[in-house]
Amino acid sequence: MLKLTEKFMRIIFLIAAMASVLAVIFICVFLFSQGLPTIFRIGVFEFLLGDRWAPTAAEPLFGILPMILGSLYVTAGAILLGVPIGIFTAVFMARMCPPWLYRLIKPAFNLMAGIPSVVYGFFGLMVIVPLIFDWYGSRFDMMSGNTMLAASVLLGIMILPTVINIAETNIRAVPQELYEGAVALGASHERAVFKVILPAAKSGVMAAVVLGVGRAIGETMAVRMVAGNQVAMRMPHEFLYGVRTLTTNIIIEMGYVEHGSIHYGALIATGVVLFVFILIINLLFTAINHDKKEKSKRQKQNHGETSV
Amino acid sequence: MKKRILALGLAVISMTVLVACGNESNGFDDSRRIAVFTREDGSGTRDAFVGITGVGDDMYIEAIVEDSTAGIRSNVVSNLYAIGYISVGSLNDEVKALSINGVLPSDDTIRNGSYVLQRPLLICVNDEKAADELVQDFIAFMLSAEGQEISATNWTMVDANAPAYERSAMSGTIRIGGSTSVEPLMQRMREAYIALNPGVTVEISGGGSGTGISEATSGVIDIGMSSRELRENEKEALTDIDIALDGVSLIVNPENPVSNMTLEQVRAIYVGETTQWSEL
Repeated sequence: MLKLTEKFMRIIFLIAAMASVLAVIFICVFLFSQGLPTIFRIGVFEFLLGDRWAPTAAEPLFGILPMILGSLYVTAGAILLGVPIGIFTAVFMARMCPPWLYRLIKPAFNLMAGIPSVVYGFFGLMVIVPLIFDWYGSRFDMMSGNTMLAASVLLGIMILPTVINIAETNIRAVPQELYEGAVALGASHERAVFKVILPAAKSGVMAAVVLGVGRAIGETMAVRMVAGNQVAMRMPHEFLYGVRTLTTNIIIEMGYVEHGSIHYGALIATGVVLFVFILIINLLFTAINHDKKEKSKRQKQNHGETSV
Repeated sequence: MKKRILALGLAVISMTVLVACGNESNGFDDSRRIAVFTREDGSGTRDAFVGITGVGDDMYIEAIVEDSTAGIRSNVVSNLYAIGYISVGSLNDEVKALSINGVLPSDDTIRNGSYVLQRPLLICVNDEKAADELVQDFIAFMLSAEGQEISATNWTMVDANAPAYERSAMSGTIRIGGSTSVEPLMQRMREAYIALNPGVTVEISGGGSGTGISEATSGVIDIGMSSRELRENEKEALTDIDIALDGVSLIVNPENPVSNMTLEQVRAIYVGETTQWSEL
């Protein structure tokens, strides 16, 4: 009897596991079957390297290079702002934080991770955008505060919980002996943490950064509200101008698009490009994790040999 | 070393703060850049706007894109130098409507055509749904005197001498979807219609003109709403009926001294030829 229920439950779990795998497969099939034909119809180079996006013009143009760059810039800005803060916070929380403070800030970061992105977007629209416009608007002849900078700052804040949580876990996972060894050799607490612990947790921290990149590049709602959404080719120093990212391109134009048209296909194709981006990021993450495991295995082996 | 970094950081912070303080000024500075706001590609309001003004496919590449009327409006409210365009029915006290060629948008100026920035709000049904009694009755209501009175509240009626609606105690469900510009009008139509026909349920969803047209074609919904004229290929499967006229209004911040523009000035702003308020 017991065995029967066990078997039954096992099947239930199997179905549950298959469901998510199937969902991924269906999404892949949908994206590629709808997107790839359009990409080939437009032309791979025209689509990926075209610098004009004019889907409803008399002679429509479907170049998404400005949006690919837009996504990269905004993400890079978010990493530049968010990662240093995130890593230092993680170090602080793992190694320097007094317990009473930890009990306060840990739930705060968990809460931060749960805030819907539209709320972040609203915050950006109401606080960051006007602030940027007030500060730099007249000096740099700006139209508004809806800029790459605004999107980067907002995303920099949004990736913090991801970066902090993963970096903290990995810093905590560094064996205590390393720290004790460093202190025994005369290093101060700070020196031991920054010169020994943090380098030892390097690959874990890298993984945190990679996941942060994934979060930033996939964010849609919040970016849409603050980025200005112009489809214009930008250079990195033009961070006081607006950009459109791959994600926002889809959400902005999906509402009014004629179904089955080439414009519709191009939006799905934009999704394909985004999907490939995310795929690369996930592969990177897996590679880093794999590397980490190998390393720790080797470390353990070395450890075993020396202790013998 | 540490101290030097600290000092540098403090210097940067204090500079930013000083810049912030030094820049505070009240009032309208017409040497500032015009903040051009536009709707996204495919929007019915944008279609109508670029068609009438002659902007066509040459929309200024720096124009900031918002994908909703509320988005345009809230930016114009918060940005002193902004200009945008929304449906006349969505005007409120927080923004200032510009007159075009000296004509302010109003019912009279829209119906007699002297206010040139206008478009039809229409519904479309496929042949199968057009034969449905309930759908026919609802359309008859929208085109009746009662329905046109609703069109006149925030928009402009298409027919000032429409016949009265004859109640026929219908029941059933009508599903309507499409243009978000037509949606507020449709919601009021629903309220009035349900009050007369308590047995009827009317479900309204948004999604945009494109969605409304394609779903009405496929029959997923009974009535599609669109704020742009149907294209020739779309007319093959659908019958379209104007239920109201809607002006497109150019809006600026209430503190902006400009109150009139020619259609040519509007075009020049939206193709990027005019970039400063002082150039007007």
